[in-house]
Amino acid sequence: MDGKKFLFSPSPFGKAPLIILLLTLISFGYLSLNPAKDSEATLRLWTFASNHLEPYEKAVPSFESNHPGVDIDVQLVHGDAVNSRLRAAFWADLDVPDLVEIEISRAGSFFRGPSEYIGFIDLSPILKRTGYYDRIVENRFAPYTNRGKIYGLPHDVHPVVLAYRRDLFENLGINVESIATWDDFIRIGKKVTIPGERYLIELSDNSAMHFEIFLFQRDGGYFDNHGDLIMDNEVALETLLFFIPMVAGPNRIGSDLGAYRLFTQAVEQGYFLSFLCPDWRSKVAESDIPRMSGKMALMPLPAVVPGSRRTSTMGGTMLGITKACPDPELAWKVAEHMYFDTDQLGERFRDTNILPPLKEAWSHPAFDESRDYWSGQKLGRIYADLADDVPPQFASPLIEMAKSKMASVISICSSYYRMNGEKGFEDFARSTLRAAGNDVRRYIDRNPF
Amino acid sequence: MKKLWFSLQSKYAPYVFVAPFVIIFIIFTLYPLLKSLFLSFYITNGPKAQSFVGLDNFIFLFDDPTFHRAIWNTVIYAICSLCVQLPLSLGLALLLNSRFLKARNFFRFSFFSPHLVGQVFVAVLFSVIFMPKFGLLNRILHVSIGTAIDTKWLGNPELVMPALVMTSLWMYVGFNMIYFLAALQSVDRELYDAAQVDGAGPINQFRHVTLPSIQSVAVFVGVLTTIGSFQLFELPYVMLGNTSGPDNAGLTVVMYLFQNGFISGDLGYASAIGWTLTMGVLLISFLQMRLTGAGKYKH
Repeated sequence: MDGKKFLFSPSPFGKAPLIILLLTLISFGYLSLNPAKDSEATLRLWTFASNHLEPYEKAVPSFESNHPGVDIDVQLVHGDAVNSRLRAAFWADLDVPDLVEIEISRAGSFFRGPSEYIGFIDLSPILKRTGYYDRIVENRFAPYTNRGKIYGLPHDVHPVVLAYRRDLFENLGINVESIATWDDFIRIGKKVTIPGERYLIELSDNSAMHFEIFLFQRDGGYFDNHGDLIMDNEVALETLLFFIPMVAGPNRIGSDLGAYRLFTQAVEQGYFLSFLCPDWRSKVAESDIPRMSGKMALMPLPAVVPGSRRTSTMGGTMLGITKACPDPELAWKVAEHMYFDTDQLGERFRDTNILPPLKEAWSHPAFDESRDYWSGQKLGRIYADLADDVPPQFASPLIEMAKSKMASVISICSSYYRMNGEKGFEDFARSTLRAAGNDVRRYIDRNPF
Repeated sequence: MKKLWFSLQSKYAPYVFVAPFVIIFIIFTLYPLLKSLFLSFYITNGPKAQSFVGLDNFIFLFDDPTFHRAIWNTVIYAICSLCVQLPLSLGLALLLNSRFLKARNFFRFSFFSPHLVGQVFVAVLFSVIFMPKFGLLNRILHVSIGTAIDTKWLGNPELVMPALVMTSLWMYVGFNMIYFLAALQSVDRELYDAAQVDGAGPINQFRHVTLPSIQSVAVFVGVLTTIGSFQLFELPYVMLGNTSGPDNAGLTVVMYLFQNGFISGDLGYASAIGWTLTMGVLLISFLQMRLTGAGKYKH
């Protein structure tokens, strides 16, 4: 059989396999001749937050014009992808970005293992040399510090205040000036809450998201500054005993509905009269619940005891420079331009409501502007005035596990309280918290690195 | 020359034909399998930092309450799948096999169609249906039987598993029905005629003719469902927003493996979980086949 005959003779399997083979060869040939081009940018920056992307893209041209020949590529990468791709790339020495933003609850997991395998540059020498260390809210370095080294620049402060439906508060006769402590707040909550219809505050009974705001406010946390586990200490127990009756049982004043779109409708319909509002969430409210413009207002968190701290913290982002970056000095200049340019930070605050950790930036006029949405309040000043009081969050490679265990504790204790009320609750809460802490300790104890 | 060419062809052609599969199998299945077995004896932080611990990962695993929770959840899900899903699939197949039913093809396609969309799509769809206050299910239940409209199906540890099972029923009942339908259509009609002559009613016909005739398919579907249940991942992962749900109520063994391997970075412990799961599934499948007498039955 000659070649021509072979190719065009009827095959027992029909022409389909031949066509598939030809397509495969054509595709293979095309891809071999046109390999994917490597990024031609001088430096690449990954961010996971869409509200960070736009300001960074705005900031790139001015940096590039001051540094001829430098091309900065800012890429938006999904948070989960940053986590998995970056980790895999660090492990396998694959292509990693030069600068990368990581969400606070995930940052600790990048600091696992021997220091030499941590993929980020220690920024503490340059932070101290340039003086930025003293000009930034010190507590915001805590989540990105491991074994005395600072691996990330804090992007934000994220103080937490209470956002409330001003119109409904007024209709219900609630005077915010009279709310100095959480006890005052709960007393009012018991009067105005109607189970299933209206709650004074949005609080979760099955995750640690809101609980940890209370925990941090009381100077508690998951780990201390030495990396030791403290999630089951007396402060955590006190917080738990205080928090659970707010979300479970007959006198609860809080509930949650989970997803954001539900939250939006719930605020509009007056299902939630107030919610815990870190700076970033105030922008979420402005954009997702625009119809509430002029009906919302902010107030500092009620204190635990009179005169004590009236804020806490929720969320955060770090910017790290990877060890694979060929020009760390240039990367630092990019970081400096993105994070420490006061004019840009002021403009950015108008767009994002996120309070930068660089203290001198707070004197920008943007922070003293009245906001119609928030009933004419000076949103920036409210947050800035509380910023120095923001508690630290100390991280660990096991922070995600600790948070997950705490979420289980909240869920279990809420169930218990719903069923049994105060009877035996303290002992139950103590043992549940201790068991969760011991679970995390088992992992800590077997870590050989 | 021609003779030599033909002789070479007949000798080596089989190897050439199987080579693509074998090469891909070795690279993407066999090597990772062996590597994961090797890793299961190490605590790791990625592939660079490894510390040999012998059987410690397995010992730790059997004493790990979170793993116990994952096993428990997975077993509950598997039992629900077997005990609820399969009878429903068989029931639907029996209905759709009836000669008296009109528009059978429409119903067959309708019941099968949920399987045409992916698990992620189904998970997103059902997470909307299960929403508190505004979700379809809560609205219906509130109006019809007066349950609380803000019931948190995916936020209450006691309700997470029922929600997952309901979702999987919607997705898989129609799919398994197709297997049963094919088996029912292959049952010899003469057996029913003979049973009728012997005075057997519908129940006895089902018990003594239908069930034995579809036994091998039922065992196959049972084993497939069990294995699928133990591999459960996407559905809870998406429905519970990339978490394991309140009090780990939606944590499955594969999710726990994923969390350890790709979030905590301990590939060694994740490998130990993977091998334990594999051994468990093998054992259960073997027991299922032995108990149901699969393989012994001959037409």
